[in-house]
This record gives sequence, structure tokens and C-alpha cells, in this order.
Amino acid sequence: MGLAESIAAHLTKDGFITETVFNYESALEKISLYTYDCVVVDINLPDGIGFDIVETLKKLKASSGIIIISARHALEDKIKSLDIGSDDYLTKPFHLSELNARVKSLLRRRHFGGSNEINFQEIRVNYISRKVFVGETEVTLSKKEYDLLLYFMSNIEVALTKPAMAEHLWGDNIDSADSFDMLYSHIKNLRKKLTDKGSKDYIHSIYGIGYKFGKN
Amino acid sequence: MKLFDRTNFYYIVFSVIIYVLVGASFYLVVEHVIYQEVEQRLKVERRDFENFVKAHGVWDESCYFVENKIELASLSDTLTPVTEFKDTLLYNRYNNEYVPFREYSFVSQVGGAPYKVTIRKSLIESRTLLKSITGIMMAVLSLGLLVLFLFQRRIARRIWAPFYQTLSRAKSFDLNEGKGLTLTPEEIFEFNELNSVLNKVTDKIARDYTSLKEFTENASHEIQTPLALINSRVEELIQQKNFSDEQMRWIQDIYQSALRLSKLHQALLLLSKIEHGHFFEWETINLADTMTDKLEEFEEIFTHKAITVQFTKTGAFHVKMHPVLADVLVTNLLSNAVKHNHTQGVIDIVSTSNMLQVSNTGNALTTSPERLFERFKKQNQSSASLGLGLAIVKKICESYHLAIQYAFENDMHTLTIRSSGTR
Repeated sequence: MGLAESIAAHLTKDGFITETVFNYESALEKISLYTYDCVVVDINLPDGIGFDIVETLKKLKASSGIIIISARHALEDKIKSLDIGSDDYLTKPFHLSELNARVKSLLRRRHFGGSNEINFQEIRVNYISRKVFVGETEVTLSKKEYDLLLYFMSNIEVALTKPAMAEHLWGDNIDSADSFDMLYSHIKNLRKKLTDKGSKDYIHSIYGIGYKFGKN
Repeated sequence: MKLFDRTNFYYIVFSVIIYVLVGASFYLVVEHVIYQEVEQRLKVERRDFENFVKAHGVWDESCYFVENKIELASLSDTLTPVTEFKDTLLYNRYNNEYVPFREYSFVSQVGGAPYKVTIRKSLIESRTLLKSITGIMMAVLSLGLLVLFLFQRRIARRIWAPFYQTLSRAKSFDLNEGKGLTLTPEEIFEFNELNSVLNKVTDKIARDYTSLKEFTENASHEIQTPLALINSRVEELIQQKNFSDEQMRWIQDIYQSALRLSKLHQALLLLSKIEHGHFFEWETINLADTMTDKLEEFEEIFTHKAITVQFTKTGAFHVKMHPVLADVLVTNLLSNAVKHNHTQGVIDIVSTSNMLQVSNTGNALTTSPERLFERFKKQNQSSASLGLGLAIVKKICESYHLAIQYAFENDMHTLTIRSSGTR
């Protein structure tokens, strides 16, 4: 329950309207009454299995994006989740910033915003063509730098930890010491490329923790 | 060798031995009887001969009772006893062939002088008789054996049918179905026993497996959920600005320890899953291809650490493995080679049709090489690494019967995985 609240709080802060239920019965009730842009489902529920909620959503022909979270690391669960029609799968424990990025990416893919671009101040990202502009000038980024920027722009004014960022970029089978070094150099390059084209420096480092992307 | 082949083999060998023994002894017995008969007749003729000589004083070749040829030869040496039976061959000028005779020689006084008398009796009719009797006998015997053999084969097939059915059911037994075999009772006591034992055993295996699987899944869920909560709460906490540097460090410690705990737990869970055979499904996987894919993923880190990688592929190394484990195996080998490498080091990978070898530069081991694959055996106890990577590699190799070997030569640490049975 604490986790659900924590997720809700995080997403609310980012401007989403969230509703939280804690069991299978009330979840069924909610999804049959309302239409959601995105549903985050835990597989293990006190009175049921999350898969059934996904299947109900599919039966209702709901247009909701579905993200499954599970503690079960089993590959079968992941395959099953995607098979029955969920859009993404996250294994516990995950970083809230990662979930946030996934939710946003899912909403982008489903064109809920109606636009192919996301903007922050003078920075503009077209996620169809994967092009980045500062004002009207195009900035050429490497794949990792692009991913990093998109991750930042999905988590504006959020303190992002280095492990969360490293995991977002490289997955979890990489040695942390190396990945922090690599992260540092990617951030350095990204910052340089953006400011070179006239952008303000929005990447702030937080001592000992990581980075924050935002106006101050 | 199949059961039928084995029983048939013994049956045939045994039959042939019996066949030869019976044939030989039958032949010998009949031959003996015939000789007895012939010798009896020859002795009677000797008596007739002696009676005739006693009555007439001389021997007359054209005597009425002579059915067989009697030959007389004068004898000078009377000391050597000549009375004996023997086989001989005489030339028959009508048939142009040698004919077997039984010959009886003895010494007799004819007209006062000692003579060696030889009576011969043809064996040709007896031989023919012997041959045909033996022939018929053998024919009947072989026919009997053949019929018996065919009969036994058919019976065996029918009797063992339930056994083969059980065998094929047991072969297709799938743990994933979560239930034991349901074999039907059989008429034959032993097969019935076998089926009920198999039912019981597979049922127990299936139940144990299911409960173990549930347990690990539940344990995993119960531990990961609070860890996820800790992480998310800490992530919320660090959004606050009013912490002192010291407090921030504490929070960071909590955060990193929780992350580490969760990684540790995942790794241990993976180890126990491998041990308990959760990954019993397999595909044929070419580890050289997996390596090629993984090298791409690792490219960034190779560039970052200025590591030179060389991959020599001389063959496809096919293994039967769960795809997830193949991935874990190769990833762990590579991250191990990176972790214990130094900047501007070298990684040398060789793949042949029966082995995969990863060598890397790096400092010499401080622990003994035998303990390299043990859990939590770390080169540097304070390092951030979990110390489980090679233990997992070893466990995966063990469960797929691959041999893994470590060597340190020319300043290169080398880990070699071979399909067992090859060197």
C-alpha cells in the first residue's frame, strides 16, 4: 500500500491525476466505471491476480496503456504480461523516476498528447524523428545522450539518483563504478552540446546523489 | 540393446547349443547301437566259420552261409593277438567308390595251421539309416525350436506392451504441468506395482516442485516489495532540499544498501532457482552468437575503459540451455572480464565448436583459484561487486554438464567453458 501511495504521490507531483486502489475487487470496479490513460497494475494482489485486470481491460476494449509491476523476476511473467496485452513490465524494486519515464513514454506512444514533440523552455524534442532542437538549431546527440535527455525531460525538477539513471541507460547488469563514470561523461557531453547551441544549463548536480533537470 | 533383442539373443544361443548337443549325442547313440548289432552278427559268423572248419577240416569259399566275405591269411607269428574289430574302406568296382566295412579279425586253426581270418560286413545300409534318422530328427528339432522362438517373441511383445506404454508416458512427463503421471492399473502384478510407484513418485515430485516454485516466488515478492518501498520513499525524501550534507550522506547510504540488498537477493534467488531446476526448458543456443550480441551491449564500457577486445570465432558452440541462463552466463563472463581488468587492458575471446574461452588482463589473484567460484569470494572484499557472478556461472555450467576451468598464464586470467567429454 505504501508503494502505491508513493507512486501516486510521485505521479501527482508531475501533473497526473491519479487514483489508487488496493485490491482486485475495487480495481475491477474502477476500470469498468472510468477510462484511464494509463493503468499501473501489480501482479500480486491480496484478492486476485493482476493479469486478470489486464484481461478485463482488454475485454472492455479500454484504450488505457497498461504497465505491470511485479516482484517476480520470472521471464514467463514478463512474456505473459506482454502477451495478454500490457505495454510494459517493471520488476520490483524500481526507481520512481523510471516508472515516471515509462508512463510518459507509453502515453507518448499512444499519442495522448496529440503532438509529436515535448518541450522544456527552449529545448524541443521530436520523439518520432528523434531530433533535438535548441530554439531552431538542431543538436546532434548520440543515442545515449538522447535517452538521457528524454529521461530528464520526463522527470523535470526531480532529483534523480545515479543508480536510477545508470539503470535506465544500461540496464542492471553493469558494474556501478563504471556506469557512474560513463554517466558522468555523457552528462558532461550533453550539457556541452546543449549550451553550445545556446541553451541555458538546466542540468544541476546534487552532491552525493545525482542530478536534477530543471530551471533552478 | 533392447529387452527383446537381449532375450532373443540368449534364447538363440541356448537353442543352438542344445541343438548341437542333442544332435551329436543322438548320432553317437545310434551309431553305437548299429555297431553293436553289426559286431554281434560278425561274431555269429565266426562261430559258423569255426564250426564249418571243425566239421570239414578245410574252408570252402563258396559256403552256403557266407553272406560276407571271409579272407584267410597264413600266419607265422602266433604270439601277437589279432582278435579285433576295426573300420575299413574297400573299393567297390561297380560304383567306383570306397564303401565302409566293419572288419573282424581273429586267429583260427585251419587244417592244423594258424590262419588270420578276417570277416567283413558292409556298413553302407547302416550308414544310410543313421544319416536319415539323424536328418529327420534334426529337422523336427529345428522346426520345433523355430516355432517356439516365434511364439515366445509374440508372447513377449504382448506381455511387455504395458511396460513400454508406461515407459513412453514417463518419458513425456512434464514437470511444468504441475501434476504427476496417471498410469492405469495393469493385470500383471509387477507392472501394476511399477505404475503405482511411478504415479506416487511423480505426483510427489510435481507437488514438491510446485510448492517450491510458489515458495520462491512468494519469498521473492515478500522481500522485494518492502525493498521497493524503501527505495521509493528514499527517492521521495531526496526531493526535499532542507537536508544537511551529513543527512544526505545517510540517506544515500540507506538508498545504496537497499539497492544492493535487492540485487543480492535477486542473484541468490537466481542461484537457488538454477539449483532447484526451475530452468529445465531448453533451446539449442549458439553461445558464440550470444557473445556477439553481448559484445555490442558492452561496447560502450569497453570504449570507456579503453579495453581492446578480440573475438576469434572458429565455430558455433551449440549448447542446450534455457535462453535466459545463456544470457546470464555470457553477461557474467564479460562483466567479470571487465571488472577485474585495468584500463587499456585486453579481453581475448575464443569460440570453437566445443568451447568458449574468455581471457582478460588483470592483477594476479590474491585468493586461491579453487575458491574463485565460491559465493561471496571477492578479490577485493570492499568492492561494490556482489561476489556472486562466477558462482552463478559455475552453477549454470554444472546444471548443463559443461566443464569450467580457470587458468592464469602470461598475465591473462582465462575462463574456459567446454562441453563435457571433450578436451
